[in-house]
Amino acid sequence: MSKYFRELTVAAALGLLMASLAIFAPHFFQWQPFISRLTSQMPALAAAIGIALVIISRQIDISIGSQFGMCAIIAGVTAASGLPLGVAIFAAIGAGAAMGALNGVLVAYLGLPSIVVTLATMVTWQEALRLWQQGRLLNLPAGIQWFGLSQPTGQAIVISLAFVLLVGAAWGMKNLAAGRFIHATGTDAEAARLAGIDPRHTTFAVFVLMGGLAGLAAVLNLVQSPQVQPNCGDGLELKAIAAAVVGGVAISGGRGTLWGVLLGMLLLANVNPALTHFHQPPYWEKAIQGLVILLAVVADGIRSRKTKI
Amino acid sequence: MSSTRSFSIKSLLARHETVLVLVILLEVLLFQTLGKNFLVGKNLSNVFRHSVEIGLLAVAMTPVILTGGIDLSVGSMMGLCAVLFGMMVNRFGLPPYLAGLVAVLFGALGGGMNAVLITRLNLPPLIVTLGTFSLFRGLAEALTKGAESYSGFPKSFLALGNADLAGLPAQIWVFFAVAAAIWLMVHQTTLGRSFRAIGYASEGARYAGIPVARNTSLAYIIAGAVAGLAAVILVARLGEARANAGIGYELLAITAVVLGGVSIFGGSGTVAGTLLGWIALAILNNGLTRISDYRIMDQPVASVARELSGLLTGLLLLAALAIGATMKALAIRRARKQSLSKTTPNPAIS
Amino acid sequence: MKPILQLTAIQKSFGAVRALKGVSFELLPGEVHALLGENGAGKSTLIKVITGAHQPDGGKLIVAGVEVSHLTPAKARELGIACIYQQPALFPDLTVAENIGLRLKKTGALSRIRWASQRTLAVELLHRIGAEISPDAEVGSLSMPEQQLVEIACALGSGARIVIMDEPTASLTQKEQHLLFKVVHDLRASGVGVVYISHRLEEIFALADRVTVLRDGESVGTNPVADLSEAAMIKLMVGREVSSIYPPATGEPGAVVLALKNLGCAASGVSGVTLDVRAGEIVGMAGLVGAGRTELARILFGITPADAGEIGLNGEQISISNPREAIAHGIAYVPEDRRRHGVILEMPIAHNMTMAIHPKIFPGTWLRFGAENLLACEFIRDLGIKAYGPDAPGGSLSGGNQQKVSVARWLATKPKLLILDEPTQGVDVGAKSEIHKIIRELAREGLAVLMISSDLPEVLGMSDRVAVMRGGKLVEMIAKENADAHTVMAAALGTNGKDAA
Repeated sequence: MSKYFRELTVAAALGLLMASLAIFAPHFFQWQPFISRLTSQMPALAAAIGIALVIISRQIDISIGSQFGMCAIIAGVTAASGLPLGVAIFAAIGAGAAMGALNGVLVAYLGLPSIVVTLATMVTWQEALRLWQQGRLLNLPAGIQWFGLSQPTGQAIVISLAFVLLVGAAWGMKNLAAGRFIHATGTDAEAARLAGIDPRHTTFAVFVLMGGLAGLAAVLNLVQSPQVQPNCGDGLELKAIAAAVVGGVAISGGRGTLWGVLLGMLLLANVNPALTHFHQPPYWEKAIQGLVILLAVVADGIRSRKTKI
Repeated sequence: MSSTRSFSIKSLLARHETVLVLVILLEVLLFQTLGKNFLVGKNLSNVFRHSVEIGLLAVAMTPVILTGGIDLSVGSMMGLCAVLFGMMVNRFGLPPYLAGLVAVLFGALGGGMNAVLITRLNLPPLIVTLGTFSLFRGLAEALTKGAESYSGFPKSFLALGNADLAGLPAQIWVFFAVAAAIWLMVHQTTLGRSFRAIGYASEGARYAGIPVARNTSLAYIIAGAVAGLAAVILVARLGEARANAGIGYELLAITAVVLGGVSIFGGSGTVAGTLLGWIALAILNNGLTRISDYRIMDQPVASVARELSGLLTGLLLLAALAIGATMKALAIRRARKQSLSKTTPNPAIS
Repeated sequence: MKPILQLTAIQKSFGAVRALKGVSFELLPGEVHALLGENGAGKSTLIKVITGAHQPDGGKLIVAGVEVSHLTPAKARELGIACIYQQPALFPDLTVAENIGLRLKKTGALSRIRWASQRTLAVELLHRIGAEISPDAEVGSLSMPEQQLVEIACALGSGARIVIMDEPTASLTQKEQHLLFKVVHDLRASGVGVVYISHRLEEIFALADRVTVLRDGESVGTNPVADLSEAAMIKLMVGREVSSIYPPATGEPGAVVLALKNLGCAASGVSGVTLDVRAGEIVGMAGLVGAGRTELARILFGITPADAGEIGLNGEQISISNPREAIAHGIAYVPEDRRRHGVILEMPIAHNMTMAIHPKIFPGTWLRFGAENLLACEFIRDLGIKAYGPDAPGGSLSGGNQQKVSVARWLATKPKLLILDEPTQGVDVGAKSEIHKIIRELAREGLAVLMISSDLPEVLGMSDRVAVMRGGKLVEMIAKENADAHTVMAAALGTNGKDAA
């Protein structure tokens, strides 16, 4: 049981939050706003799944916010030029994978630290996007929002896509050799190498996957509104990393489950709505999020200290 | 004789600092030819006036990165200290310079919090400072209820950010003092020596009796205190204290440090390198705003200078990283070949 | 019979350290071929070349008649090469079955894991070697010997034609050793070539057909085991007669410097150590890997402070809670892992030498480069360190010279007690005897020396007394006259002393 201690703690915290909302602010659970809120959290979930894989393989990617913004605009521009939605989706995911591949080459094959590499690509994509779009809102053609369907249907599609992704990724991490490669690389790259796994290929693949997921996340975001903003990805990297860390993904690699990431995501994402519903000022959100991250790592630190002695 | 000389010229060229100086000269040349009024006294003093805060953060980040750590929270710390400073002066009527001192101390306290979590609980600096990055900014937003700002500071205080002293921007003198102090610390004291040892091999440093936890803590405390100072200077320049002070500055500071050749793995690097990295960025930022005759994406360069300089910064950093890694790999290969040819019999003979 | 593995003039360097200077080796099918050599002779590097973990810088590698270049671990596995490493290279978070599956099944990234067949395979392999380990246990929860057995199961299950065993018995108990020997016999009977590495000569006599001796990164000869006596093997390993190479002890030891009474530290598994070390005396400390010798040194140096017993230094009761206190008390520790703890490879040797005496040589915290340089030059001269100058980075020196730098760092503290942990590991023979001379000279000047070593001839040759540790306890103190290979090994292994004698 202690193996899933973190997941259980976060689940308990989330349960507590939901329960107190149910008692003291039941209108939180009104169907339409509740579903809208959940839908709006799905892009970050997709990104958090990607970042969890990256962290499990003992790397980090802080460029995903920029990748997300870039992919959203690429998809938007593609769609605005009259091409079908499918092409736009493909373009977004492809662009994300390409940006991830650049990170992957620099980290995996040139041996550069991922924190600096992704810092550099983050700045590069972000500013390239600003230069390109000049901060303009991009109006999307009709038929993009909610995939051209009704809002409830569109929301259902977004939510189910994200959950299919989550279930698929969690299943793959457990049942596919690839999942084991990622775990092994993050636990002990040298042992992985001796076992015949090439940690470089694994790391590269994880970064490409991360980019692709950032593209998918951008698509899930794109279809929720009639416009797309170039700065829509700002801060996404922190949200995603925080969700993963709070959900029990160890920053030292090799440990973590995607279910924990889901729980961490939901807990952090609901801080702000909960504040509103408890009639508390919303500007405490960031401070509380920071505190939750610190609590999670401190708990990790104390636990590993105990096991050491 | 000639071989030793060529070796020393080669090693001078190979030095990161030399390359940076060349880059800076190239920038100056470029902006002077393409731009208007670049090499004008007033503009040059503006270059530095507007980037002193980032310079302070970069210089203070250097010891942290030398120990093999990182501090993502300094930008947020600026926001929090700016807000506290504004409140102290504006709401409680403290004299600005006393309030400034308190802000610096508060920055040190925040750095101390990072330090305790990192050294006592053995937590990774990246994730700890990511947490405080969020926490400090969040507290700043909460204190100002997300919207309030403080202004109306006395003129004597605003002079720190806007007046000149002995022909240079007033705040540059503060920067000189801090940079000199950190240069001394890094290059001339046992503390600086220990930062390198910790960055190269923290366990090895512990085995040599170096107080690893204490010295690492100091690096973070100094970074926090300097962030507080940078906040005060920023407020003096803008005349306004807001929760969003210093957003994104941590990244610019880290960029300057890495561009300056400080190894992100810890151990190697110089304060001079950081300064050069910072100057290269500052000139790039300002120089682009001086180019109005050329257009990029149908816009005069000057009007998209911010974006363009950001983009070039990112590309520069990527290039610096890739070149550094390639050079290192080549050096290792060459060293291996040399050691083989020098000392082993030809295997073809046996 | 044609050899299944043939190495010719293999070379490999790490920075300035030349680990292999031209090793030749061949393995026949159905043969157990022992690889023998002192610590640092290049055995582990050679194995890593065979398994593809290291790329050799020169030489030829022929597997089953085909020359192989750019061998990777994955390719080695395809060629039928399996290895049991000294340190199990397993993943602690995965179960035994998962680890075995990961190691044995060469799969595409997107292929599904077949849980049932993976488990069946694990059960079968564990049964074949007679290990009673649950396939569903997480490897992290297993003991060291059990993890070693999992490694052995992996090697067995790979269907390899070449199996390498790197000190497989180092952490095994008697019972598991028997399991292992049976596996080795089975492998040989089925035509597999086994490369067997061990320090224990008796194992080599019991198991091996031929033996190749490595010394200083060179192969010095291959012989049928039956043709060699134990003494001849040692002579091949060491390169000269054991007795002639150690500097003689002189004079009577002085006052007691270090007095330990029932010292223990639960966290590092050391308990009830009572020991005296006198001025001018070298106390050798023998024992198997994991017997608690390094752990004892770490207690004395304050890295893992003691939680029981007393430490007396020069007649005073002291407590040591961190390395700085230990240094202040005059204790110096030259650690075992030179590359991680002893010398910071990227830093100049002058900086390395002054690292433990910052408060002394740089009073008031300002660096004094002149004084530092002077001190470094003196040590370079006195210890005969081969480096181009005080500015040379530690990594540019050979292993022996790095070790001298590490020793210099601690001599600079002017200690009363010098603890040396494997002082000549990874050091070539010439530098080795120089280091021995330095150690003896230091003792002669009145230093109390505690020397931990797994190199039996070194312990016997250097020590005035030999302390033997086993299972975290000091089990025997042997006077020089009574110390020989058998008494020390018997005490270290815990076999009955009388039988061994």
